[in-house]
Amino acid sequence: MIVAAAICPSPPLLAAELTGQADILPELRAACAAAVTRLLAAAPDVVAVVGPAETTGPWDAAGQLSLASFAPALRQGPPLADNSKKRDAGPLVAAPPLPLALGLGALLLDQAGYTGPRTLDGIAEDEPAATCLALGRRLAASARRVALLAVGDGTARRSASAPGYLDERAAPFDEAVERAVRDGDLPAIAALDPALATALLAVGRPAWQALAGALSATDPGGAGLRPAGHSAAGRPQTEVLYSDAPLGVAYLVATLIP
Amino acid sequence: MRTPGPLRLGGREFAVERPLVMAIVNRTPDSFYRPGLTWDESAALERVHAVVAEGADILDVGGVPAKPGAEVTVAEEIRRVVPFIERVRAAYPDLVISADTWRHEPARAMCAAGADLINDTWSAWDPALAEVAAEFGAGLVCSHAGMLTPRTRPHRPAFADVVADVLDRVLLLAERAVKAGVDADRIVIDPAHDFGKNTWQSLEITARLSELTATGWPVLLSASHKDFVGETLGAGVDDRLAGTLAVTAVGAWLGVRVFRAHDVRETRQALDMVASIKGDRPPSRTVRGLA
Repeated sequence: MIVAAAICPSPPLLAAELTGQADILPELRAACAAAVTRLLAAAPDVVAVVGPAETTGPWDAAGQLSLASFAPALRQGPPLADNSKKRDAGPLVAAPPLPLALGLGALLLDQAGYTGPRTLDGIAEDEPAATCLALGRRLAASARRVALLAVGDGTARRSASAPGYLDERAAPFDEAVERAVRDGDLPAIAALDPALATALLAVGRPAWQALAGALSATDPGGAGLRPAGHSAAGRPQTEVLYSDAPLGVAYLVATLIP
Repeated sequence: MRTPGPLRLGGREFAVERPLVMAIVNRTPDSFYRPGLTWDESAALERVHAVVAEGADILDVGGVPAKPGAEVTVAEEIRRVVPFIERVRAAYPDLVISADTWRHEPARAMCAAGADLINDTWSAWDPALAEVAAEFGAGLVCSHAGMLTPRTRPHRPAFADVVADVLDRVLLLAERAVKAGVDADRIVIDPAHDFGKNTWQSLEITARLSELTATGWPVLLSASHKDFVGETLGAGVDDRLAGTLAVTAVGAWLGVRVFRAHDVRETRQALDMVASIKGDRPPSRTVRGLA
């Protein structure tokens, strides 16, 4: 069963090495670290990381994010000495690099000093809600004490300077997600529209729905995914640690404790 | 691999060791650098006279900004650029004119009006551009944009090896262009800094421009005042000339042949300096210590 769950976003700049000399969004990094600390405080037998990926399926638990795929200068090996020689542009680790969200999830666990068992599951960005919910239920049942880390972002269309340019539907979508998370309203998370999420570049949608599935399977009050308002007894205790879109992409950090 | 040879544009032929300056003239009200500077047609023509006097070899005329924004229809793009190109062509019969566009309809109209080169920064999003170039005997810039849709921003682009990705794309497009009938002596390749790339990746491309020039195809470097310069130096858009010229100098040293620039005089000076360092150009006047 789930003993704790958390939501973190997945901008590459969470990896401090990628932001050059500047310390970008330290408050976001601090919020993510705090969320992971709370996950681990629940003394899980395993931490299950879920995040969007090109295809649905598990990844090597020893995998890492390839920083070099974003910043070639950070690759391991001798520094550039001669422009006429081609540099080895191989990834930092021998295993194939993890999808961004899973790689950042693994990084957050590493940074928290967690060395216990972990699983890494990618969910295809167009996976229907039912599949995401089912994955969550399966992860919840995978051990006696499971901590779930759902990694993924809100919309990327919050302003004219956003990566996806401005879409007026983006802010209401992100507000609805934040409200559902804050209220522990699992049915509302389960009901998020995959097509709208995709249109708004909200890549976190499948991971959030896996989280909803996992928590509903763990619901001690038995409310499950019944529509909100019928019973608040089974809702998780929630805390939103960060919710903002300073670069045009919505970042949400939250913890949900059954 | 191709044996480096003269680059032919319009009726001109440019030797391998002769670096070319491509002056930017935007027929837009909202491009990122000095927006609206040449929106007015008379201002645009004044700029043409100025950049020709400053040593521009090519004029790159565009009617749509690269950044996202209000839609510019095909008809509007043609309205912005074609009459202007006709006037420039009338005033400068031999000046090389480049059409900065990603759509074949404006490209065709611009070539009919006198453009000699199609600068397709969006990497063959419209594959018919090569056919237009072939039809008019024009040149073609084959670029890399990370498969982005025109006028969209890169969002978390990741590459196992960005330079390998660039090479794969531009060489494929050059090959396709030749098959479509474009004169191989009129094809240029462009890694397209910032297009589908983050700052780290544009820096990597800059450091490894030698891998592009080693292909033998003439390489175009378009770095002027771009975001990767700004992010690297922490410099606003009006404060990127020194960074731009540093990239220009590195490119020139590594064999780049065409330099797309807002600041023509400064770019020409930087290129002359590098050419003299390489031994391709005698200094203008040397008397120091020689009296």
